[in-house]
Amino acid sequence: MTRFGEAATATRQRLRETDRRYSLRQVARRIGVEPSYLSKVERGQVAPPSEATTVRLARELGQDPDVFLAMAGKVSRDLQDIICKRPALFAELIRQLKDAPDHAILHIVREVRDGDW
Amino acid sequence: MITLEHDSLVFRFPEVHEAARCSIDFQRTLRIPDDGLDYPLPPGLGGFPLRHLDDYARQAPRDWLRRGGVLMPMHQAEAMWISFGAESYPFAVKIAAGKACALTGDAWTNHLNTDPQDYLVLPEQPWLDGFCVAKGIVRQFVAMPLGEGYSVEEQLTGAAEHGGLQIIAYPMKAERYEALIDEQSAESGPAYGVVMDSAPPDMGLAPGGRMRQEIYEDEYGLDAWDQRYASRCFVTIANSMQWLALTGERPPTEPPTARDYSDAGLPWFDFYGGDLEALAETERMRGLVSVARLGEQKAETPLPENESIDAANVLTLRAAGATRVREMPGGGA
Repeated sequence: MTRFGEAATATRQRLRETDRRYSLRQVARRIGVEPSYLSKVERGQVAPPSEATTVRLARELGQDPDVFLAMAGKVSRDLQDIICKRPALFAELIRQLKDAPDHAILHIVREVRDGDW
Repeated sequence: MITLEHDSLVFRFPEVHEAARCSIDFQRTLRIPDDGLDYPLPPGLGGFPLRHLDDYARQAPRDWLRRGGVLMPMHQAEAMWISFGAESYPFAVKIAAGKACALTGDAWTNHLNTDPQDYLVLPEQPWLDGFCVAKGIVRQFVAMPLGEGYSVEEQLTGAAEHGGLQIIAYPMKAERYEALIDEQSAESGPAYGVVMDSAPPDMGLAPGGRMRQEIYEDEYGLDAWDQRYASRCFVTIANSMQWLALTGERPPTEPPTARDYSDAGLPWFDFYGGDLEALAETERMRGLVSVARLGEQKAETPLPENESIDAANVLTLRAAGATRVREMPGGGA
């Protein structure tokens, strides 16, 4: 079983405990794949699905699509586009921040500005 | 701090607790008939896009920029609901429209009030679809231009000043959260160049049709919330033309009508929150007049396609694990 398959299975089964609509069959139908294929993905018998399917699965299971993509060994198309526009700068930025604690990284994230109201 | 991620407002309070995180997004939906009948909850048709208002500083009206926050497009008479995402860390969240509290109708304050309770508690409350007008009943959030008298703000204050939506979130105190977790584990294991010199009419939210939705009482008590830390956001609602002019993007298409949706046999929703107590309405909210009723009084037709429907296919969602699937099958319009 792959890390991606384990995470998808664990999340779906946790939801399934309280809501039968999270059965393998119903989740597969909602994200537009065959149940047999989703079963193989969960058991790690095939490579993780495409970016679009991975994002649909993450959203269906209430998970962060970027986290699911990372576990699938992928980077979303929009992030690739951002990095490719300024590759040297973003590559350096990511390397510089690789061991920084979360709170330090959050300091450089753009906040929604609160104004006067 | 608030960040904008995938069209969601993400609230984080790392200074309180590393797990103190919740998100809020705004769901496109059908407008339910405003006919005096009580309907189940309509589906989510995908999130409204959100943008930093500051990104349009050269074109946006000064009044909008002064407020900060984010910009969201809505068509006139379009409906929406608010979706809350919180995993385990509890939050108290106040929601106002035109600076009038959506639960009590009282004027905006930057603190929590309990008599009457003017905030929602997450994660117990997964959604808010409208203004609390009776115990277990809300009137749907429907976008209307300010200045025509339909918005809740105008009905309650007589003024058309603010419009939009206002949000403030308070995390639970860290020590209360830690105690809660211990208790739970013990139990279970670029610009387009159209400069808006003068402020265009703002969009506000008005009370639409009635639907069944309970707003839950705070079971933790006021003392549970860390009111030293709060993050707030003004959501300016732009009409379709304003949105296109500012962002260069087309707004989402208008959703299907409630009749078309229901005739297709697609599901409506009910939410069962277990033993949680529902809040009653306040005197101020009881006096709100719905958009259709007010239109009749003014000899206007503000809501097209408002005939009654039979919402027969109702799915009941339960508190645990069900907050993500209030969607039209197939992923939305």
